[in-house]
Amino acid sequence: MRSYLLTTAAAAAFALAMNTGAFAAGWDGADDLPTSPLACDASAPAAPAAAKPYDGGKAINAPDKAGKEITLVDVPKLIGIGYFNATSKGIADAAKEIGNVKVTTDGPTEAKIDEQIKFIDNYITRGVDGVLFAANDPVAIAPVLKKALSKGIHVVGYDANSTPDAREWFINQAEFNGIAKAMIDSLAKESGEDAAFGIVTSTFTTPNQARWIAEMQAYAAKCHPKLQWLETVEAQEDNVLSFNQATTLINKYGDKLKGLFGMTSVATPASAEAVTKAKLCGKVAVIGLATPNAMKPYVNADCVKSVVLWNPIDLGYAATYVMRAIVDGKLKPGATSVDAGKLGKLNVVNGSEILLGSPFIFNKSNINGFDF
Amino acid sequence: MSAIALPRSPAARGSLWRRVSSQETLLAVAIVGLAVFVGLTNPRFLAANNLADILLGNAYIAVAAIGMSMVIITGNIDISVGALIGVLATVSGSLAVAGAPIVVTWLAPLVIGVAVMGLQGVIVAYLGIPAIVVTLGMLSILRGGLISVTGGKWITDLPDAFHLADIEIFGVIPMPVAIMVGATILAAAWMRWWPQGRAIYATGGNAEAARLSGVSPRHTLVLVFVLHGFFAGVAALLFATQLRVIQSTTPSGLEFTIITASVVGGVSILGGVGTVVGSTLAAILIAEITSALVFINVSPFWTHALQGALILATVIADIERRRRRLAGDVR
Amino acid sequence: MSAVASSPRAPRIAVRHEIILAAILIVALIGLGFANDRFLTLDNLLNQGRLMTEIGLIALPMTFVIITGGIDVSVGAIVGLCAIALGYSWKNLGFPLPLAIVFSLGVGAAAGFANGFVITRIKVPAIITTIATLTLFRGLAEGISQAHSVRGYPEWFYFLGQGDVFGVPTQLLILLIAIVAFGVALDRTSFGRTLYAIGSNETAARFSALPVDRVKLAAYTLSGLTSGLSAFVLVSRVTTTRSDMGMGYELDAIAAVVLGGTSIFGGSGTIWGTVIGLVMIQLLKNGLALTGVKGDATIMVIGIVLIASVLIASSLQRRRE
Repeated sequence: MRSYLLTTAAAAAFALAMNTGAFAAGWDGADDLPTSPLACDASAPAAPAAAKPYDGGKAINAPDKAGKEITLVDVPKLIGIGYFNATSKGIADAAKEIGNVKVTTDGPTEAKIDEQIKFIDNYITRGVDGVLFAANDPVAIAPVLKKALSKGIHVVGYDANSTPDAREWFINQAEFNGIAKAMIDSLAKESGEDAAFGIVTSTFTTPNQARWIAEMQAYAAKCHPKLQWLETVEAQEDNVLSFNQATTLINKYGDKLKGLFGMTSVATPASAEAVTKAKLCGKVAVIGLATPNAMKPYVNADCVKSVVLWNPIDLGYAATYVMRAIVDGKLKPGATSVDAGKLGKLNVVNGSEILLGSPFIFNKSNINGFDF
Repeated sequence: MSAIALPRSPAARGSLWRRVSSQETLLAVAIVGLAVFVGLTNPRFLAANNLADILLGNAYIAVAAIGMSMVIITGNIDISVGALIGVLATVSGSLAVAGAPIVVTWLAPLVIGVAVMGLQGVIVAYLGIPAIVVTLGMLSILRGGLISVTGGKWITDLPDAFHLADIEIFGVIPMPVAIMVGATILAAAWMRWWPQGRAIYATGGNAEAARLSGVSPRHTLVLVFVLHGFFAGVAALLFATQLRVIQSTTPSGLEFTIITASVVGGVSILGGVGTVVGSTLAAILIAEITSALVFINVSPFWTHALQGALILATVIADIERRRRRLAGDVR
Repeated sequence: MSAVASSPRAPRIAVRHEIILAAILIVALIGLGFANDRFLTLDNLLNQGRLMTEIGLIALPMTFVIITGGIDVSVGAIVGLCAIALGYSWKNLGFPLPLAIVFSLGVGAAAGFANGFVITRIKVPAIITTIATLTLFRGLAEGISQAHSVRGYPEWFYFLGQGDVFGVPTQLLILLIAIVAFGVALDRTSFGRTLYAIGSNETAARFSALPVDRVKLAAYTLSGLTSGLSAFVLVSRVTTTRSDMGMGYELDAIAAVVLGGTSIFGGSGTIWGTVIGLVMIQLLKNGLALTGVKGDATIMVIGIVLIASVLIASSLQRRRE
């Protein structure tokens, strides 16, 4: 009994000692890379930064397959979530449209970088013509991608980047600061300039999420300084955990909480569900990144006003077209734009990134027209 | 009539002090104590809806821990239950979307759970393969199989009637809580007063003695796995009917959470000791700790370290308590 | 009657199991080799050797631990903790990199020692202890790293994870040396014989005045130490540190050990069996992937192979008795 009490007391003391309070300089979940918030006014399209020189890698002695059939592999962060089901669909659609592209999607069932590396490694050994990837970690994935390049395999990334020299091009769905602006502006519009909010993210070590949160903090400080960040909670890619964490935030802050940001396509519907169950629709705004299908019940019930995303099907679609263009010699270092089938011309930004476009906002008027 | 009586379950014996210092009582005290402690820092923790949310969101873990406790009491372990719950939830949801009658969608996970676990039980009991090996293999089969079949596509258009977890009994008690409490009481009673239930302790404590007193360890073991599958099915049902979306993947780490609940609840892998009341209380305590850590502003970077430390402290305290009791020191 | 004089139970049944396993392995290799022409190339096999080192290093002391009748599921978390310790001590504490590496190995040994201490002194069952320390160690990694990765190591650091020595991947050489060392320790030293004795009958071992607690403690400490070494290899291979490194390694290592014929109840098993189990799982995964089987189906096959092999081996053993 004594030892039990002692250890519990020690644990409690430890807990209090670890109390960092919610008023630290940086929002939890943000990374510490430099940020570049956009202008505050309504119409500020992300202008392509034309001058940066090409900084991508190069496939060494790649066989010339211009006009011939190529075999690709697509290795997303993980398989089995709606978002990557959508990108895979886009990749497959484009392959079918182009005609001489064969592509397989294969990947780990959990978002683990070590597993992803092994998948890519096996496909290198098998001998594919190109690798499409969405990285679980930008630095850890670099060695295996460079190995692919050294064997003459083309490498194109989408959704989640690697270090630039490990791939030839990267399809960027939307600029990080553009997404940050869309999210923060939506919250300010829905809940007011002095709203207090919480963030539900996957983990603090997921690069994209960390980037978005950092940019959101910078943009909010610049254009909506009275918004108050309360807390960030982690919920992996788990539905039930996201729901429980969102519910805890709602219960903890009570009336003070006016908004919840969902940073993944799992966290946002779960947060919306938590708000619905707590009967706070309309009182607590839910804004986040999510696929339309998962959000339809909440948007149609007016619980969620807007869902920020880009079109992941288009993202995958563009990736395949870019790969084809590279193999055909139509996309070379130094290009300023590339032709992407039905998407038209996409601009090159940041040296070796291809921008899909501005974030897309799903709301009640358009969400029912999508099925992914 | 055999001269060797089946051992009475531990909680039935002994002095008042033993009752009071049992793991179950300690857990109950910890639950209340923690609530008070956090409530002092942030009174909103004690709000009825928050306490209800803690129970509702985690009832499925307590139910699954009932079956897991039984398995551990017999001296075995199961690490496939998390994957199984994922599969059963997906099956249930798919049936619902395909238009099957709601009763069928609710019964299917129970039946399939019993079948899968029963099969594992037979392999363990009659073929002598260690449970950890069988369940390790089954974990892979279920995980890979689920993705293979569903492609990871989420189930989103669930009919409203499907949501068992939304039903409230007498308009007040939410179904998950009712099921959790009811299942715990029924299982605890069965394990204390029914010969087959008490046989579980015998099988775990000393298989040879059990056999000598007429209990068939093999039958009991298969029965335990079958029950474990049943409770896993109920847990999957609660898990699936809570939210409007079913992720067709296996929730990661779920089996470890369930095992932890059983162990913190006083169930010993050495077999023969522990109660399901303990594991349910432990599941509630663990859920409460997770919520409490958010309420008292513990840095999110350190929550897992704290949870691990608390679990370690609890199991060490449990072993110490047991050792002192065995040594006759009833202070 | 001494429990130590001859290694109990080990030789005959184990040889039988391993031979069966090796036979299955060879059949599988030939089959997969026919199905795909890139599989049986030296390049691929050496590469697979490189990739299986991290699990392999952990599976070796895991064999020791399981032979004593224990288990250690916290090894994956120790890998994560050591990886973070390496990066943190180098970047934040300013240790020179070689010292940081030694420090991280020390952290691993300390973690293993902590496991062993709780198991032998406080007598908490191994599975329970290591499930608790799994969360604790992983949590410590997350807390210390604060979600930061440490990258930008000097070139020589990558030699272990990405370099070759006369064409053989560096870490594979380390693994081979470790295999020999562990195998010899198990077969020919009194330490190894004590491990078997503890697993067969711990009480009898104690009564025979064997240093049971010390040997068990050593086994768990060794387990932690090799997890630290595995972390070093991993960080060197992927050039960065993450707090989630090593997740799932424990199950992979246990699968290799069990597949190799070590009984989970303790008292029997060999390093050679573990090696065959390790190679089998790695090459199966690789061969299936090269043949075009996708990830999810591969996971299922591994699960089926695990259960089937243990079933076959067990039924053959029973027939001998």
